Amino acid sequence: MAEIQLKNVSKRWGNFVAVDAFDLAIADEEFLVLLGPSGCGKTTTMRMIAGLEEITDGEIFIGERLVNRLEPKDRDIAMVFQSYGLYPTMSVYENIRFPLKVRRVAKDEHHERVMRAAKMVELTDFLERRPAELSGGQRQRVALARAIVRQPTVFLMDEPLSNLDAKLRVSTRSQIKNLHHELRTTTIYVTHDQIEAMTLADRVVVMNKGVVQQVGTPLEIYDRPANTFVAGFIGSPAMNLIDGTIGDGVFTGQNVTIKGLPATVSGPVTLGFRAEDAAARPDGGGEIAAPIFSLELLGEASMVTVQAGGALVAVKVPKDFAAEIGSAFSAAVPAGICHLFDAESGKRIAV
Amino acid sequence: MTAKTRRRPPVLAVLSTAFIVLWLVLAAFPFLWTLWGSFKVQGDFFSRQDWVNALTGVHTIAETGGPFTGRGYYGAWVTKEFWRAAINTGIVTVSVVLISLTFGTLGGYALSRSPHRYAFWILIAALIFRAMPHITLVSGYLLPFFQLNVWGYLTTAIVVLVAINQPFTLWMLHSFFKSIPKDLDESAMVDGCSRFQAFRMVIIPVMWPGVVTTGLFSFLLAYNDFAVTATLLTQDNQTMVPKIASFLGTTQVQGNVMYAVSAVVSATVPLFLLVLFFQRQIVSGLTAGAVKG
Amino acid sequence: MPHRTFIWFILPSALAMLIFIALPIVSILVQSLFVENERVLVTVENCGPFGCQKEVRVDAQATAALQREHPLGRFNGLGTYGNRSHLAFSEIAAIWNARPTLAGFLSEVMTLPFYRALAFTLAYTAVVTPLVIALGFFIALAVDALPRMVKGPVIFMSLLPMMITPLIGSLVLFWMIDSNGIIGASIQALANDPSLSLKASATLAWITLFVYGIWHSAPFAFVVFYAGLQTVPQDTMESAMIDGASRWERVRYVVLPHLSPLVVFVALIQLMDNFRVFEPIVGFSAQANATSLSFNIYNDLRSTGTPLFGSAAATSVLTLAGVALLLTPVLVRTWRDFKRSR
Ligand SMILES: Nc1ncnc2c1ncn2[C@@H]1O[C@H](COP(=O)(O)OP(=O)(O)OP(=O)(O)O)[C@@H](O)[C@H]1O
Ligand SMILES: [Mg+2]
Repeated sequence: MAEIQLKNVSKRWGNFVAVDAFDLAIADEEFLVLLGPSGCGKTTTMRMIAGLEEITDGEIFIGERLVNRLEPKDRDIAMVFQSYGLYPTMSVYENIRFPLKVRRVAKDEHHERVMRAAKMVELTDFLERRPAELSGGQRQRVALARAIVRQPTVFLMDEPLSNLDAKLRVSTRSQIKNLHHELRTTTIYVTHDQIEAMTLADRVVVMNKGVVQQVGTPLEIYDRPANTFVAGFIGSPAMNLIDGTIGDGVFTGQNVTIKGLPATVSGPVTLGFRAEDAAARPDGGGEIAAPIFSLELLGEASMVTVQAGGALVAVKVPKDFAAEIGSAFSAAVPAGICHLFDAESGKRIAV
Repeated sequence: MTAKTRRRPPVLAVLSTAFIVLWLVLAAFPFLWTLWGSFKVQGDFFSRQDWVNALTGVHTIAETGGPFTGRGYYGAWVTKEFWRAAINTGIVTVSVVLISLTFGTLGGYALSRSPHRYAFWILIAALIFRAMPHITLVSGYLLPFFQLNVWGYLTTAIVVLVAINQPFTLWMLHSFFKSIPKDLDESAMVDGCSRFQAFRMVIIPVMWPGVVTTGLFSFLLAYNDFAVTATLLTQDNQTMVPKIASFLGTTQVQGNVMYAVSAVVSATVPLFLLVLFFQRQIVSGLTAGAVKG
Repeated sequence: MPHRTFIWFILPSALAMLIFIALPIVSILVQSLFVENERVLVTVENCGPFGCQKEVRVDAQATAALQREHPLGRFNGLGTYGNRSHLAFSEIAAIWNARPTLAGFLSEVMTLPFYRALAFTLAYTAVVTPLVIALGFFIALAVDALPRMVKGPVIFMSLLPMMITPLIGSLVLFWMIDSNGIIGASIQALANDPSLSLKASATLAWITLFVYGIWHSAPFAFVVFYAGLQTVPQDTMESAMIDGASRWERVRYVVLPHLSPLVVFVALIQLMDNFRVFEPIVGFSAQANATSLSFNIYNDLRSTGTPLFGSAAATSVLTLAGVALLLTPVLVRTWRDFKRSR
């Protein structure tokens, strides 16, 4: 068990920057999630930690050791690949045993450890099968078992659930959570699914275009997004972002006027609030007033969309809310639920 | 293709079937004819009067008392010591195949896994090397080999054939390795293998079909070679193909061309069996080579 | 993969190719600048009962010593390239001056060994390559339409001409076209001309070699195209049918574009292989009527007495220049693709 430190780690292919100055310390026993849109450099970061990708710049420490020049096998890690990377010619049993075999773990321990790992992921019935004879979820569990069969310093998981159906994803997710609770191994987990990030992570790293946008607990990231990218990426639906100007504590934009904001800020800003924090004002007189653009039933609630501040703004309303598209709508957006971001840099403005 | 897209007008079907039959006759008849003729005497196989003689074997019956004779084979294998050449061919082809595959799998694997630009250039260099006429290379070897006193030995021919075969082997295995997901060796390395262990324990077991196919083509190159073996080997070390060529100079005069015919048939049998057993691999191999150019 | 690991993996192959393919190219470049040592001659006086006679003899010992000292022979600069057996500049000039008509000039030039070989090599490459591709394509189309049951045996038989050792394959055909062989005798009977021989006339010998080349290589093209046909996208084929494309239009607009990379592949391999044509000439004993560049090199190396290394090397260099020309379009294309992909 160990902490991991990335010091200004960068990866470039020619002129293309895949990861730019990644700087982070990951605590022992932490479950860290790398989150970001496709192509933002999550896999690359993880592969650099695993030693599968050469590092262009910077240093990586696992425990006290500088591992930059260490081969993957000497880094004492275990990795679950997005496409599982199972050995097609070996049975499930042999697949799980493989790390023990090549690391010269005493032979008499093998069987017991394989069986324990297989049991943890409920695979004991399939040990004699070849990977080709398993379902996607079962293969996924073989990959997990192969990672946990020995006690590595670090677990690396690259979108391990992306190939599973929705139901299996939920159950395997809780299996992973439980495993981490039992084994207490430092884990780095890559995903672009924010629900996974929220449910699993001790801390989340949000990345975009190779640059770290914010590091924090899931709650911090949800409640206090560091910039408009994070605000627009986290949450379902994402935070509403409205362009306008602020002066004397009053924000004004197309169809919007919000009073009671801090008077210290002035000039053009981006204002953000979450759909579930706002509410409909059937009697009128809300901060946003605009004709309804669309009305969607979500199940537990409905979502009203209106045009405001040059964007489509969503407001959550009770599911029995009924109105015609095009009819007038008014929503309460009190200053308390608003976030302010610099209009140019997109950075959060502390209030 | 589905039944619908393949339904054809009858005229076309007849034409195309006739075409195939014609082609098959062209492709296979020479072999059948020579096989049959190798059991006759020269007077029948090379019949002045009538080619039907070769079927009936008039002269064969007159000369040997039976419609078929093994004289040609006896002459080639025993009198002319063709067995020596056969053993040499065996040694050369087996060694070439084994060494080519060993070198080729290592190199092809590295080429398929390297993200660097030089891997591309090595492949291009291999393509250019593939185009070198073998005899021009041989003309480069001869003088140095005489000087170094390595001319004439089987080992020399083996090494040269391995080298000449390498560009092709590299290309073919490279495209086979490309089709194996990188995840496989990467997870092996994370599991504790060095690059070489990952290659040996995880990749090679998956690669057998590709290795077998490439091996077949290496075999063909070594077995069918004439340029190298005819010029780099002494009389004693000659392999089958140059030996047959050397029959021609001497036997035609003595009227023993049937020795050469029998030797030709003998040397073709292994190839025949090869196609019989490995047809599928040959077809798939040519395709794999083509996929990646 | 780090550079160091890569080097260890590629080393055996790279060394083999460097030593036995790249180095020989250097070797022929050097050798082509030298010609064989002259024999050392001595004049000895033979005194017999009928008086003394002067006689010029080869001093074997001194010749061997000279050979040991200068294994490459004498330095000759670019002389070998210009001599009669190669580019033959002075001979060409002489012919040009003597023969005013172009046809006469060409026929005279064709008696020079290098140009004779070059002409056949180019003709062989130019004739055989496209015909192999065309024949292979039609065989593939026809085989693809056969019922599944007979496909296996048909493919088996079709593969034979390709697998056969080139020298042996040409011998087999050579025996059949012998004037006593089945084809040769039948042709004589058909033409009612007992002196007709495929071996005697240059034109017939060329045609025979072309036919052999096509027979030998068509299966290669066939197999590649046949495998390509198996992967023609079915939905495109069906949508073309729905769009009302005729059978030929489907071949033209769906099948051919799908196979075009394979055509390039086959053409490339065939150009390389046909340009080095050599075994058939040995097998058909056709050197009187047709020689190729490779055959000339072989002939120099096997020339009775001392091998003509210098001459062989010069022809080799010229051959490689030809290969380079042949490959240029491919390399230029690859280079462009490579540039674009970056
Ligand atoms: N070998 C490579 N050469 C050049 N660019 C690469 C290479 N591998 C990845 N990239 C680029 O680096 C960027 C980051 O890739 P990476 O695989 O880390 O994305 P990711 O965040 O894992 O995305 P996803 O969620 O789709 O898996 C991408 O834009 C990708 O195109
Ligand atoms: Mg990824």
